[in-house]
Amino acid sequence: MSDLFGIIGVFRTPDAVKNAAVGVRETGYRKFEVYTPYAVEGMHEILHPGTKWGLPVLMFVGAVFGAAWGYWIQAWSEVVNYPINVGGRPYNSWPAFTVGTFEFMVLCAVAAGLFGLLAASRLPQLYHPLFEARSFARASRDRFLICVEATDPRFDPAAVSELFARLGAERIEEVRA
Amino acid sequence: MTMTFPGELPASAPVVASDVTLTSLSEKVSSRVLARRAPLWWWIGFTIAFLLFTVLAIQMAWLFVNGIGVWGVDIPVAWGLALAEYVWWIALASGGTIVSALFFLTRSPWRSATNRIAESMLLSAAPCAGLMPIMHLGRPGLFYWLFPYSTVMGIWPQPRSPLWWDFICLLCYILMSLMYYYAGILPDLATVRDLAQSKSKQIFYGILALGWRGSTREWANQRVVYAIMSAIMAPMVISVHSVVGLDFAGGLTPGWHDTQFPPYFFFGAVISGTAVIVMLTILVRWGYGLQDVLTEYHLNAMAKVILVGSLLLAYAYVWEAFGPFYGSGVAEKTEFFHRIFGFTAAPFWSEKILTVVVPQLLWFPFVRRNIPLLLLISAGIIVGMWQERYVFVIGSLEHNYMPSYWGVYFPTFWDWAALAGTIGLFLTLFFLFLRFAPIVSLAEVREIVEEGHPK
Repeated sequence: MSDLFGIIGVFRTPDAVKNAAVGVRETGYRKFEVYTPYAVEGMHEILHPGTKWGLPVLMFVGAVFGAAWGYWIQAWSEVVNYPINVGGRPYNSWPAFTVGTFEFMVLCAVAAGLFGLLAASRLPQLYHPLFEARSFARASRDRFLICVEATDPRFDPAAVSELFARLGAERIEEVRA
Repeated sequence: MTMTFPGELPASAPVVASDVTLTSLSEKVSSRVLARRAPLWWWIGFTIAFLLFTVLAIQMAWLFVNGIGVWGVDIPVAWGLALAEYVWWIALASGGTIVSALFFLTRSPWRSATNRIAESMLLSAAPCAGLMPIMHLGRPGLFYWLFPYSTVMGIWPQPRSPLWWDFICLLCYILMSLMYYYAGILPDLATVRDLAQSKSKQIFYGILALGWRGSTREWANQRVVYAIMSAIMAPMVISVHSVVGLDFAGGLTPGWHDTQFPPYFFFGAVISGTAVIVMLTILVRWGYGLQDVLTEYHLNAMAKVILVGSLLLAYAYVWEAFGPFYGSGVAEKTEFFHRIFGFTAAPFWSEKILTVVVPQLLWFPFVRRNIPLLLLISAGIIVGMWQERYVFVIGSLEHNYMPSYWGVYFPTFWDWAALAGTIGLFLTLFFLFLRFAPIVSLAEVREIVEEGHPK
């Protein structure tokens, strides 16, 4: 039993897999994930209900940090470190610093987004037991997969397979850990 | 009652041909990347591109050894073709982000299949833009002094200067475009990885895909980050090209010193960027046989964007002519007359015809569906925008305030070599994108395929 990572059910359409995900969840399983070739609408709400603010907030923090950094590096160099009098204008000439501030702000926001996306998705992770499954390669093309993982307290291979069959899976496969 | 014009694409025209399925889409696009041998047209195109690229290498070597005197630049025209082409290239690149980010926010269905072409185009054009001012520096080895850090002598760059803003904008733009591109292509790289047969390609795309599995959590994260990135990229690209406009508006030269240039430049980016995307889309569509994914719908929609761009540009041209006569400056008027009747008259009038008059043909539905015509109009726009930048940069410098400060500029062989060479760099990069990365965003087109014909 312990050598199993989980059991995959393969479905043909997004509606079938959505229906199946609801079924799996209602049966009481919690440790399962759906793998699809594109972002199926509404799937996230079925699997992980509740609004997720993590990444937007992270990007906002990135933006605030970037703006502060961008302004600081200009103002500090012009006011403190190497003041140059340009036609009697104030050293801290903030209107001239807005462009640099804006650019650093958006740069940091986008960088926070990309690295946040990778971190929140636990990437890069070049090896995963699922890659050994024969049917998994099609999850990036034209099939919709559900994998109930062995770590689920209610996990029982026979019961999961039966559930998948009842929900209309095209194919059922065991995945070794 | 809706009115349809003769030859108009019906409103019900499919975005993607109805016989495209999830299976055929993935295999069709990925097989172009995974093919053992590139098609003949790719090799021909790449060879030409690479030869032009060697022209750039020779030109740069000659320039760096001898200094910028090998170009036709002198006083008073100290900014020559290279600076005009800098603006031209950055406009092409910006157009790519406009198509990709702005039309993501409007949820335009035609954007899904063309955004990868647009982004590949912009990532190929942005280095050409970046190279131009560096070549023009005179001491190109010291360009890094523009980085905001205290160099060996304890000197900082001057952040009050529009030229520094420009450097920061371009730097941030290239970095952000790379990140935006990667966030979008990650799922498609996973598709290519899963379809790859040879070990080396599995490893190559496996590493690039970072282990993407397409789980719901990954998709949810990717969608939210990508949407926010698009919302950032759209104003960002407007800022990039506006700041290029500010470089000129901040100068006192007659013809440059005008607050209209930030939006003026942006309008130029909309039309020229879209025109180059139309040309590349036609190339990809024909070369890779993707007529059922890149359909008439896409070309029709982009032709309309070009039309809007040409109207915006016409508006800017009206103000360009209105400004000198509304103000009281004599120099502004003489400079304007120089532009329209002087040495730069030929490119001035040809540019107006190519970017504003000819694109009006796109009002006719049959023109929007005629691929050779679309190709010609787009090529004309790109040439016209080049002339526009030429007249703008050089015409103004030729006719400064004092008659004693007037002059003429003739591009030399090496000026033209810089143009040919950067076109070579652009095409070389674009052909490499064509060969090694899926050129259509699979993840996004799949949504359209599924919505279009549910099983």
